[in-house]
Amino acid sequence: MRFASTALLTALCAAGIAAAADPLPKAEAIIEKYIAATGGRAAAEKLHSQVLTGTIEMVGKGVTGTVMVYRAAPNKALSIVEFGGLGKAEEGTDGQVAWTRSAIAGPRVKEGSEKAFSLRGAVFNGDLRWRELYDKAEVVGLETVDGRSCYKVVMTPKGEGETVTRYYDKESGLVTKVLMTLKSPQGEIPIESIPSDYRKSGDLLLPHKLTQRVMGNEIVTTFTSVQNNPELAADRFALPPDIKALLEKKQK
Amino acid sequence: MRQSLSMTRLLAFLVLALPLAAADLRQLNIDSFDQVWNTIRDRHWDPKLGGLDWQKVREELRPRIEQAATAEEARAILREMLGGLGHSHLGIIPAEAYGHMDPKGASREGSTGVNVRVIGGAALVVSVEPGSPAAEAGVRPGWEIRAIDGQDLAPALAAIPEGTRGKRWEGVWLTSLVMNRLAGSPGTAAEVTFRAGNRPVAAVIVRTRRRGTVYRFGFLPPVYVWSETRRLGNVGYFAFNLFLDPQNVMTAAEKAITGCFECDGFIIDLRGNGGGVLGMTIGLAGWFVNESGRLGTLFTRDAKVHFLVSPRPEVYNGSLAILVDGMTGSSAEVFAGGMQDLKRARVFGSVTAGGALPAQIEKLPNGDALLYAFADYISEGGKRLEGAGVRPDVEIGLTREALLAGRDPVLEAALKWIESRKEGKP
Repeated sequence: MRFASTALLTALCAAGIAAAADPLPKAEAIIEKYIAATGGRAAAEKLHSQVLTGTIEMVGKGVTGTVMVYRAAPNKALSIVEFGGLGKAEEGTDGQVAWTRSAIAGPRVKEGSEKAFSLRGAVFNGDLRWRELYDKAEVVGLETVDGRSCYKVVMTPKGEGETVTRYYDKESGLVTKVLMTLKSPQGEIPIESIPSDYRKSGDLLLPHKLTQRVMGNEIVTTFTSVQNNPELAADRFALPPDIKALLEKKQK
Repeated sequence: MRQSLSMTRLLAFLVLALPLAAADLRQLNIDSFDQVWNTIRDRHWDPKLGGLDWQKVREELRPRIEQAATAEEARAILREMLGGLGHSHLGIIPAEAYGHMDPKGASREGSTGVNVRVIGGAALVVSVEPGSPAAEAGVRPGWEIRAIDGQDLAPALAAIPEGTRGKRWEGVWLTSLVMNRLAGSPGTAAEVTFRAGNRPVAAVIVRTRRRGTVYRFGFLPPVYVWSETRRLGNVGYFAFNLFLDPQNVMTAAEKAITGCFECDGFIIDLRGNGGGVLGMTIGLAGWFVNESGRLGTLFTRDAKVHFLVSPRPEVYNGSLAILVDGMTGSSAEVFAGGMQDLKRARVFGSVTAGGALPAQIEKLPNGDALLYAFADYISEGGKRLEGAGVRPDVEIGLTREALLAGRDPVLEAALKWIESRKEGKP
């Protein structure tokens, strides 16, 4: 009898919880809310290039540096990170070739899943064009991130690449966390990214701080300056000579 | 009267402040203990810590750190805690090291210019930096150092700690002991007694600033980094002391290698190279391979990362020799062992230090720093270099006789092999 009562109580509680919970919205609606929360589709579409300048720090390791990010429509990107004592590390794409080069490891042309990841990341206003980049986006639940209730959305890329899990704040609509696994010839590295400090830049709301957790390290990037629609030199996204040389060598 | 009152106040302040300072230090040591214990628990690549009962270690040692009255006492307890894990790349870096000083506050920035190895129980000069005070004093390779500043070396060399005796890193410990005694403040003199051949020679050597340029990175104590490029006939030669300062060292390496594409052979001398930034190993290897390959794999708790070598646009295809010895450690071992596994280089010398674990440094509340291994490393050939080192393809050591004769048998063997390859011999 006691067992039956307990079972009944459990069933009633479960039913109560189910009745109380809101049905999960569609991923499309969540992404649209995010676009609206960050300034809206119309404002985003006015943007065709961007330069972000900031600082980067490996927390607790005494390692600091500077970061410059150049982006331009439709799919060009270049980031330059310079850690004190380690020299320059660059990553970029002209929309066709994705590459990386550094004072430490030299130049390398990306291929496969790693290349697909870089090309997808370089798509300007990628959130507006997410259907071109992802096969599907599914809301898989509600989770708490930093004390806030968030929709967990799993996005499956078209073609090569790993799924990306994004957490959207239920109330504000902003992205609070991104989980992904970076797959490259060097291995599979899980990365957790926490965008924060959303502030206005022109008509758009941008996270000015990005905290990334990679292999037990915490890396914080703080953007101190954002230029919207700056004129960029025609060769800003041109392939560096050693990358060109690697491509020519491969074609031989 | 006013001054006397003021002095009384000052004394009263000091009397009150001193116990407070001691109490503060004690708390900082306790906080440091907790940080070290937590970091190892959370970040060591092996969550089981090799079967060590980490909670028990804490229960045993924490009461002792609570009683530690000085930084030295605290360091000894922390080192005891780390020592239980039984591998390299675990240590406490004293705060003084950040000012080029030893734990007693003495400067370590000055050098005599002699490079030493302990061979057969004797501290032998293996090389003398050209233009250094030792060179000006006429010191020669092969001379044995018998005493420094009036202190005989023999008892110190015989007093190898229990955990070090017979271990792979015994040679590192012995050599470091002698090199530390030779180091000091620039401008100060080291009184060194040598055995040159069979006759004693006493020399007063005024130390100058160490060779190279000061390099700072993160919480690594400042170090001097140098590189050297030479041409030995039609063979290129590149040596450097640490895999650090990539802007200078990698640029120098590029210049040395690209300037020698037509050379009969190329020698990378890693004897005494203590390692550094692991990424530099793949950057350097890229100058010598035509196909992508790996120098090994790093394992953390949540990821494994391959050390992928990507060929440079132009590479050196000739014979490559790598020279190593018992002071070749860490990233230098990864490079030598990795190139050996790729069958791209022939390694000459003696077995390396066997301390090849990826490590990081974090500051502790008491001003010291914790060096800890956050990953394990397995070479592409499936070898764990930690504790074993890289075994050269051609094992050959230095002897006093050869050094006194002005010879370098390891370099000679590499040159001979390059010559034989040129003649088409295997």
